[in-house]
Amino acid sequence: MTQTTDAHALESVSGPGGKPRGRRRSDGRLRRLARALEPVPWVAPATALILFVVIWPVIAMFQTSRQSFDSMGFDHGSAGWTNFTKLFDEPVLDGVLIRTVIWVVAVVTITMVTSLGVAQLFNKQFPGRKVARWALIAPWAASVVMTAIVFRWMLDPNNGALTVLAHDLGLVKQFNSTNWLSEQVPAFCWEIFVAVFVSVPFTTYALLAGLQAVPSEVYEAAKLDGASVFRTYWSVTLPLLRPALLVACLINVMNVFNSFPIIYEMNGGNANSSDATTTIFMYTTQQSSIGEAAAMSVVNFGFIIVIVLLFLRASKWNSAED
Amino acid sequence: MLALSALGVAGAMALTACGSSSSGSSKSASGGVTTINLLAADYGTAGTSNSSQTYWQGIADAFHKANPSIIVHVQTIAWTDWQAKTTAMFQAKQYPDILEGDAPQEFAADNLLYPLSDVMSSTTVTNLIPVFEKQEETNGVAYGAPFTTSARAMFYNKKLFAQAKIQPPTTWAQLQSDAAAIKALPGGNIGYDMPLGPEEAQGESLMWMLGNDGNYTDGTGKYAINSANNIATFQFMAGLVKAGDTEAGPATQDRKVAWQDFANGTVGMVGGSGALIPIIQAAGKLQSADYGVVAMPGKSAPLTSALAVHDDITAFKTGGHAAQIKAFLDFAYQDKYQEQFDNEYDLLPATTSASAALSASNPVDAGFLAAVPNAVQYPTNANWTPVLAKIQNTIGAAVNSPSAASGVLGQLQTFANSSN
Repeated sequence: MTQTTDAHALESVSGPGGKPRGRRRSDGRLRRLARALEPVPWVAPATALILFVVIWPVIAMFQTSRQSFDSMGFDHGSAGWTNFTKLFDEPVLDGVLIRTVIWVVAVVTITMVTSLGVAQLFNKQFPGRKVARWALIAPWAASVVMTAIVFRWMLDPNNGALTVLAHDLGLVKQFNSTNWLSEQVPAFCWEIFVAVFVSVPFTTYALLAGLQAVPSEVYEAAKLDGASVFRTYWSVTLPLLRPALLVACLINVMNVFNSFPIIYEMNGGNANSSDATTTIFMYTTQQSSIGEAAAMSVVNFGFIIVIVLLFLRASKWNSAED
Repeated sequence: MLALSALGVAGAMALTACGSSSSGSSKSASGGVTTINLLAADYGTAGTSNSSQTYWQGIADAFHKANPSIIVHVQTIAWTDWQAKTTAMFQAKQYPDILEGDAPQEFAADNLLYPLSDVMSSTTVTNLIPVFEKQEETNGVAYGAPFTTSARAMFYNKKLFAQAKIQPPTTWAQLQSDAAAIKALPGGNIGYDMPLGPEEAQGESLMWMLGNDGNYTDGTGKYAINSANNIATFQFMAGLVKAGDTEAGPATQDRKVAWQDFANGTVGMVGGSGALIPIIQAAGKLQSADYGVVAMPGKSAPLTSALAVHDDITAFKTGGHAAQIKAFLDFAYQDKYQEQFDNEYDLLPATTSASAALSASNPVDAGFLAAVPNAVQYPTNANWTPVLAKIQNTIGAAVNSPSAASGVLGQLQTFANSSN
C-alpha cells in the first residue's frame, strides 16, 4: 500500500522538471506528500522486519488461541473463546500464577542483594582478585541446561553428591528415602537457588561496571564531610549506582519470567504442574491441548507487555532525574 | 503405541541417524520391477548388527529372491527420533507403502490406508493373536496388523527376597509387607519401584487399576478414570508411598530409571516386560537365577489379565501397490521372522503360531506369553492421544497423599470428557 503510493509520488515529482503543468495547486500537494514520504525507503526494511518477526507471530498466536486443534496438529476450525475458558477453568492455574510471581520476585531479589555484595567485594583490591573475577564467569558461561542437569544429578536420592554429603553429615538417615526434586516446596526452593546461581554473574558484572564508574572524588568529599561508612554507601554509592541497578533488575525480571530450562530440566514442573511457572505450564499443556497452550501464551504475552511498560516508565523516570 | 517402542531403546541412549537416506514416492517401476518402500522403527542401535535395518533387509533380500519382480526398499528410524522425523515426512506427504511402528487409527481417519483385508491374505490375518487384532479396527474395519507385542508382569529380586526371608506377593497387602521388609534391610534398598513420572505413568497406573477391577474406561468404552475403584487404588498406592515402601518421589520417577535401579540390584520389585531382561544382563549385577517374574499382585489375587501393548503394521494406499504389499506382508509374517525379531529384542510375537513356537523354545518368554491371550490394553478412544499426554503429566500427583487421589483423577476425567 505505502509502496505504491510512494512510487506514484516519486514519478510525479520528477515529472514537473520537463513538462510544466497548469495545475500548480495539486503539484504542490504532491510535492508535500513526496517530502512526507521521503523517509519511507529508509525505515521500510526495519518496519518490514518488525512486522515479520514480531507482529506476525503475535497475530498467529492470537489466531491459534481461537482455533480448535487436535493432537496431531490438524485444525478443526474456530473454537471461539473456549480455549481461554478451559485455561481459566484449570484447577492448577491459580497455583501456577502465584508461583510465577514468587519465582520472579524471589529470584530477582536474592540475585540483586547477593550481587550488590559480591560486586562491592570485587571492587576492592585483594590478592587473587583477577582469578576470583574469572571464576565468577563460570556459571554464566556454562549452559543453563547443563547447570540445571548437574544440580539434578547432585540431588539424586541414591548417589547424588549433595545427598551423599547430607548423608555423611547425618542430615539424611538413609539413601533413597528423600527425593527433594519430587516434593513441591523443596524442589521449588532448589530451582530458585539454581536460578540465582546462574543470574548472579551477569548482575554482579553489571553492578561492578556501575561501581567503577563512580568517581573517587565524591568519596573523598564524603570523607571530608565526616560521613560514616554506612552513610557513604546509602547516600553516595547507591544513588550513583541507580542506573546500573535499574537496568540489571529489569533485565533479570524479563529473563527470570521467561526462564524455561531450569525448572524443565530439574523436575519438569513436577506432577500436575505443582512446581510449574506459566512458561512451563504452557509447554506441558501444549502436549495435550495446543489451543489452550496458545491461550496461555497470550496471557504470558500480556504479562510481558506490562513488564515492558514498567520498564519504559522507569527508564523515563531515570533519564528525567539525570 | 509408543508405549512399547521405548522398550527397544531403553538401553541405547545414543541418538542414531536414520538407516537410509533415500525416500520419496514409490512409483518407480522399471522393466517390470516394482519397488515398494518400507519404513520401520529401529528397536536396536543403528549401524550395529542388532539394528532393525539388518532384520528387515534380511527379509527384503529373501523376498526379492523369491519374487524377482518386487524390490523392497527398507528405511529405519530410531525410536528416539521417530516422532519428529515421521511427522515431518507425513506432513510433507511422503508416505511409505508399509509403515511399522504407529497405530492405524489416525491415518485411517485421514483415509490414507488400505483395509487390512486388501494387503494381507486371510490365513495370515486369522493367525494374528485375536486380542491385538481387535484393536486395529476403525468403524468395524481393521486398517492395521499387530507386528510385535509385549506383556507386563512383576520382576522381583530373589537375592533381596531371600535376605528378607519373604515370598513373592500375590496380593497388595503382601506386596506392602514385602516392600517394607526389603526397605528394612541395610543398604537403602527400594521395596517396590513405582514409576509414575511422565515417561510411562499410564502403564504403571493401569497395572494397579487392573488389580482392583478398574481401568481407564468402563465396560462401554466411556472414560471412567475417577471411578470409585480407581480412587481406592490410588489411595492404597499413596499409602505405600507415605510409608516409604516405594522409591522416594514416584510422581517424577521415569521407568528407565526404575528398570536400571532394578538391574543394579537395589530394587525389590518392579513392573516390567521382556525388555527389562537385556538391561539386567547389561548391568551384570543379577544373574538369571537372581530374579523372578510373577503376575502383578492385585487387591485380593494376582492379575489374571495382564497389561499388553503392541506396535503395528499399516499399509498406505497412496502408492497403489496393494498386490506387492500383500505378497511381502504374507512373507514377512512367517514364524521364523517373527521369532527372529522377538529373540533379537526380547519382545513377543503377534501371531498365534509364532507364540506357540516361541513358548516351546524360550522359557522366559513363555511366562509372558501365557498372559497374552486375555491381555488388557490401552483405550482406543478417539481422543486417547491427548488424554495419554495429560495422564503422563498429571497422574503422579495422585499418590502425593491419600487425599489427593480423587481430585487428580477427577481432573483427568474432566479433561478426558471435554478434549478433542
